Amino acid sequence: MRDALFMGRLTAQATHEMQNILATIRESSGLMEDLLALDGEGFAHTERFKKSLAVLSAQVERGMVLSEQLNFCAHSPEASPAGAEVDAALHALVGLFQRTAARCRVSLALTPGRTALRTALRSVEVMSLAGLALDCALPLLPRGAALTLAASEQEGVAVVRLDAPGHEALRERPEYADLAGFAKALGVGLGPGPNGLGLELSLPRVTAQGA
Amino acid sequence: MNKSDWKILLVDDEHEFITTLAERLELRGINARVVFDGESALLAVAEAEPHVMILDVLMPGIKGLEVLERVKRTSPNVQVLLLTGHGSTRDGIEGMRLGAFDYMMKPLNIDTLIEKMESAIDYAGKAAKLGR
Repeated sequence: MRDALFMGRLTAQATHEMQNILATIRESSGLMEDLLALDGEGFAHTERFKKSLAVLSAQVERGMVLSEQLNFCAHSPEASPAGAEVDAALHALVGLFQRTAARCRVSLALTPGRTALRTALRSVEVMSLAGLALDCALPLLPRGAALTLAASEQEGVAVVRLDAPGHEALRERPEYADLAGFAKALGVGLGPGPNGLGLELSLPRVTAQGA
Repeated sequence: MNKSDWKILLVDDEHEFITTLAERLELRGINARVVFDGESALLAVAEAEPHVMILDVLMPGIKGLEVLERVKRTSPNVQVLLLTGHGSTRDGIEGMRLGAFDYMMKPLNIDTLIEKMESAIDYAGKAAKLGR
């Protein structure tokens, strides 16, 4: 975990720099917009300029989201006596897994769950478990399929659920053994979801001492 | 108070960012002085108290929160808006405890920034009337 903490520290510094870069791009493109609004009349390429500035603005927004997700990852190996917030960890993971899902032509979404649902695990462990589950599931799904991750509370325990494909098919995947071993090492329950579809991970609860 | 009468001090070690922000404010009729580190910020406040100081939290040398503390000790009427990043949101909250008017995360939305500056100036005016 020391390695992960160190990499996290470096990543956190890098995301801070990314924010400064994005802030500078936003101000510079904003200044161009301002000047265009003031003196743009008669300028032959106003519309093309505006289009380019809109692209810049959209890319800054995209960079902000990515930077926020990376910053979450950077801090994810840190232990907290209050435990990790499950929904926040899944939110960052789903954001960063979009490209992987898109490569498999699958749309990946997180069902909005109860916020402040916590587990004794670190965020990085929640993300790794859910990431391994996605690695098992994504190659099995047909093009155009939708895959959903969700977090819910069952009898005081945080449960992460993946809704597809069939559990038996998941078990055949080589990554499933990794997932099962990792889950066991962390004290996480692993089993099929409702109707034998997908899988469920029952995360250890925060103990009274930790809370 | 008209925007042209506002005295604004911008403090950030990101030169391109902060000078461009100053240019954009100027286009909106707001004059802002720019400095690039905490030491210069303290000198600038001692020379001419601004109404509002926009202060980056993470800078080399004197950190933003220390600048805030020192400014609030010597010039309590100066309203401070902190600029934070993802990793320094906690600093923003700590800054509020130390007397900052508010904090904003980079990248900025200039309209929101101006609204916050206006609120800070209104607040300072009301506080002065109440003799705080």
